[in-house]
Amino acid sequence: MDWGKVRFFLGEVFANFARNKGMQLTAIATVAVTIVMLGSFLYARETLGKLSAGLLSRIEISVFLSDRLGDREARALVQKIAADPRVAGLTYVPKSEGLRALRERLKGQIDTSLLTTNPLPNAVHVRVKNPDEVHAVARTIEKISGVATVEYAQDAVTKVLRLTDTVAKIGLAMILVLVLATAVIISNTIRLTVFARRREIAIMQLVGATNGYIRGPFLAEGLVAGAAGAILALAILAIARAELLPKMIATLSFIPFEIARVDESHLILELLAAGAAVGFVGAWFSVSRHLRT
Amino acid sequence: MSLVYPNGVRALDGVTLEIEKGSFVFLIGSSGMGKSSLLRLLYREKVPTQGEVYVDGTRVDAMRRSKVPYLRRNVGVVFQDYKLLANKTVWENVAFALQVTGARTHDVMRQVPRCLDLVGLAHKSRMFPSELSGGEQQRCAIARALVNNPKILLCDEPTGNLDPSTTSEIMELLLRINLKGTTIVVATHNQAVVDRMRRRVVRLENGRIVSDEERGYYFLGLGQSSVLSG
Repeated sequence: MDWGKVRFFLGEVFANFARNKGMQLTAIATVAVTIVMLGSFLYARETLGKLSAGLLSRIEISVFLSDRLGDREARALVQKIAADPRVAGLTYVPKSEGLRALRERLKGQIDTSLLTTNPLPNAVHVRVKNPDEVHAVARTIEKISGVATVEYAQDAVTKVLRLTDTVAKIGLAMILVLVLATAVIISNTIRLTVFARRREIAIMQLVGATNGYIRGPFLAEGLVAGAAGAILALAILAIARAELLPKMIATLSFIPFEIARVDESHLILELLAAGAAVGFVGAWFSVSRHLRT
Repeated sequence: MSLVYPNGVRALDGVTLEIEKGSFVFLIGSSGMGKSSLLRLLYREKVPTQGEVYVDGTRVDAMRRSKVPYLRRNVGVVFQDYKLLANKTVWENVAFALQVTGARTHDVMRQVPRCLDLVGLAHKSRMFPSELSGGEQQRCAIARALVNNPKILLCDEPTGNLDPSTTSEIMELLLRINLKGTTIVVATHNQAVVDRMRRRVVRLENGRIVSDEERGYYFLGLGQSSVLSG
C-alpha cells in the first residue's frame, strides 16, 4: 500500500469539500430529506405488506359439506383437500361436534334442548399457505363433489391486496421523482466544485492525468455527501420511530402490529447505499460533462 | 497541415515542418501568426482540420482520446503565465504533475528534488508562487513540465512577462535542458533571445511558414546577410 498516494487522494477530496461548504451542506440536507421520505415509505410499505400478509394468513376458508355425505366419505374429502400443496392446514369439525360447540356458546341464552335434530353441516376450516391464493384455493374446493358451500372473507382479501398495491405504486412514483431531484442537486453541487477547481483540472489534463484519475476525488466527494445525507436521515428516522411508533401502536390497537416486524438492519443498509449511489451518480454526470468539453 | 478554428480563422495554412530529436527550435512571428496554434497541435490541445501530426513516431491527430494523457506525459508544456496553482507550494506544484499520473510516492520523492535542483529552486521549495519572482515562477513551471521526464519541451512565450536578465537566465536553463537530450521548441517574439541563441528559426506569418533557417536571426534580412558573409 502506497500511503503517500492515499494521502494525496484524501487531500484532494478534502480540498473539494473545503471549496464550497455551503453548497455541500445543502446537498447533504437534500439527500437527507429524500432518504427520510424513502425510508418512511419503505418502512410503511413493509409494515403494510407484512400486516396484510398476516391478516390474510389468518383468513380461513370455511367449507360446508353436503348432508348426503356419510362420515367416512366426509373424511375422505378432507384428505383430498389436505393433499392440495397450497393448503397449510385444516380442522375438520363433524356436525356432532359443531352442535356441541354451538350449545356451549349459547348456554344460558337459549334453551338448546329444543334442538332435537342437528341442523349443522359437517365443516372443514382450511388455512392457506400463501394469502394470494385464498381465492384460487376456494375455487378449487368449491368444485369438489360433496362440497355444499365455501365461505371466506372474499371482499376483505381483495381490498387489502388492492390497497397495498396502490400505496406501493404511488409511493414508488413519488420516490423516483425525489431521487431524480436529489441527483440533480448533487450534480449541481459537484459542478460548482468542478468549476472552482477548473485550473487544477486543466493542469491535470496538461500533465497527462487520465480522466479516470481526475474524476476520482469528485466521485468520492459525491459518494461522501450522499452517504452523509443518508446517515443524517437515518438518525432522523430512528428518532421518529422511537417517538411515533409506540403512540401509533397505542392508538391503532385494533391492528395487530406484532405480526408486522420490519427487518431494520436490512433497511438501514439499503438507505445508506441509496444515498451513496445518488451522490456518486450525480458527481459522475457533472465531472464527465466537464471533461468532455 | 492546416488548422481552421470554428470561428473561421485560418490559424495554420498548409504548414509542413519536421523537428529533429534533441534539437532546439524557435518559432517566431508576431502575435496571431500561428505559433501557439502549432504548439497546440503538438500536445493535442487541438486537432488539425487537415493533415497529420506525428510526435516521437506516433500519429497524434488520429489518437484515441483515452491515449492523450500518455502523450502529454511525453510532452512538457510551459506558458507565458506559468499556470501554477496558487494554493500549493513550489514542491507541491511540481509533485502534483507526478501525483496525478498515479506515480508512486517513492518516485515523487526522487523526481521532484531532482527537477527543483535542475532549475535552481530547491531552496524555495516550501514557498508559494505568490512569494516568488516571475523568473522563479517560470522555473517552477519548467520543473513541473520536466518532472515526468518528457522527451519534448514546448514553451509558449516563456519569457513574455520577464525582464531581459531573467529572460537570459531562463534561456540558459532551457539550453542546459536541451543539452541533456530534451527536444525544445520555443515560440517567441523576443528578438534579443533569438539573435543571441543562433538556433534554428522557423518564421510563421498568417499561418504559413515563410522562412526556416539553421542558426537564424529574428529579422530575415540579418539572417540572409549572415548566410552570405558566412
